Amino acid sequence: MLRIEGVDAVYGPVKALSDANLQIGKGELVGLLGANNAGKSTLMNVLSGIVPTAAGRVFFEDEDITKASARRRVEMGIVQVPEGRLVFPQMSVRENLLMGGMNASARPKRAEGIARVCELFPRLAERLDQHAGTLSGGEQQMLAIGRGLVAGARLLMLDEPSLGLSPLFVKYIFEIIDKLHKDGLTILLVEQNLNLTLRFANRCYVLERGHIVVEGTADQVRDDPRTRSAYLGL
Amino acid sequence: MDELLQALAQGLLIGSTYGLLALGMGLIYSVSGIVNFSHGDFVSLGMYLCFALFGALALDPYVSLAVTLPVMLIVGALIYRFLIQPVAEAHALMVVQLTLGVALALQNGILMVFGGQPHRVPSVVEAKLVMLGNVVMRMPHVVAFVASLALATALFVVLRSTDIGRAIRAVHQNARAAALMGVDVNRVKVMTFAVGIGLLAIAAALLAPGTPLMPSMGLRYTVITLLALVLGGMTNFLGIMVAGLVIGVSEALGMIYLSDTLGMILPYAVFVLIVLFRPEGILGQSRS
Repeated sequence: MLRIEGVDAVYGPVKALSDANLQIGKGELVGLLGANNAGKSTLMNVLSGIVPTAAGRVFFEDEDITKASARRRVEMGIVQVPEGRLVFPQMSVRENLLMGGMNASARPKRAEGIARVCELFPRLAERLDQHAGTLSGGEQQMLAIGRGLVAGARLLMLDEPSLGLSPLFVKYIFEIIDKLHKDGLTILLVEQNLNLTLRFANRCYVLERGHIVVEGTADQVRDDPRTRSAYLGL
Repeated sequence: MDELLQALAQGLLIGSTYGLLALGMGLIYSVSGIVNFSHGDFVSLGMYLCFALFGALALDPYVSLAVTLPVMLIVGALIYRFLIQPVAEAHALMVVQLTLGVALALQNGILMVFGGQPHRVPSVVEAKLVMLGNVVMRMPHVVAFVASLALATALFVVLRSTDIGRAIRAVHQNARAAALMGVDVNRVKVMTFAVGIGLLAIAAALLAPGTPLMPSMGLRYTVITLLALVLGGMTNFLGIMVAGLVIGVSEALGMIYLSDTLGMILPYAVFVLIVLFRPEGILGQSRS
């Protein structure tokens, strides 16, 4: 479904990503692991089109989208749920979901999308008119995921969904991710939580200082000594 | 008593247009974080365009809007896209410098084209008066009041309940998240700047009848706009509108009850007092 070939990304003089190759098949849940600053978020932002691709190419369903705008990519169904949720704090839950469905391809199906999110997250359904800024961290994460679903995600990219959540909420969010995956959604999951990711992901990539150093099934990645060193920064 | 009512009426009428000026600036500020120091000079540009159209085609300023509004919308979009956007990521003072430069260019451009002597733009309604009890109101002021409130209401409705309004608020609240939702952030910024300047075309047509036109008049409108913007809490649009009315009323009271020079000071004194005691803006907490 998604394929990147030899992708570089730079922030000024800093090379945040070099020669990254990655593939995500339709219906897969792919984990992207690595320590802080390994380039996980950069890779995700390259896929979203808000960080430019300095070299290499990005394909989505065999279409070259290397130069496509962020907006075009959302319309195609490449949707990111950013780290730290980034909900719109002074908008109601409903308005946040409506914002999710702003793009041209999701807009006609917005009402159904919101109904589906309400079914998936009953807690949000009870709080549709509440300001998003007053929600708990876990509820904001639900909202951020819901917003991504209303956007018509075909590839849902989750950046650190467990960050700052209580263990109970982490478990709940991962159950939701698992359910979405089982319902056929393609997911790219960026996480620091190694064990949880390895439990749910079909395949994983491990990033270390901008390079993909390990790739394979969950078991292969778990047993690879380079995974541990990438995490511990050894 | 009649004098007081007269001053209040006059102040509210003219203050509504000040509110409109400041709403334009507030819209731009909330989305792009830009304080536009050429704001008032765009008002005078709008008025001089009315004057030119009156000279060439004998158009009433209200009718001129059919031309000046699209012109100013386009000018606004071009200025943002080609002057402000290239420096938008740089230090905030760069943008301040830039808008100050635009202000000077506009002022001197107007001086070059129209000369320094005062001009007038007459309107059919200019001499008409409206009586409400013992209060006498000039027709252009009544028109300005009704139009400003209607426009402000329309702006509130658009911001509150349309997709484009939500996109504008989304860019204000979190530009990155908005971009991730497929909002073209730069386009929203260009558009709101254009609308902010377009509102000034309307404000100019409303202010033009009966106002003597001088190339240097822009500064006064910029200052009034900044007063209302800060008093209103920068991004609280209802607060900005109320602040415009407060400035208008204090100006009118000052002119009636105090000597000329002192009267001119009153709006500023009121501003300083309110900001001292309510630094967060006139309606309490700002929405940002």
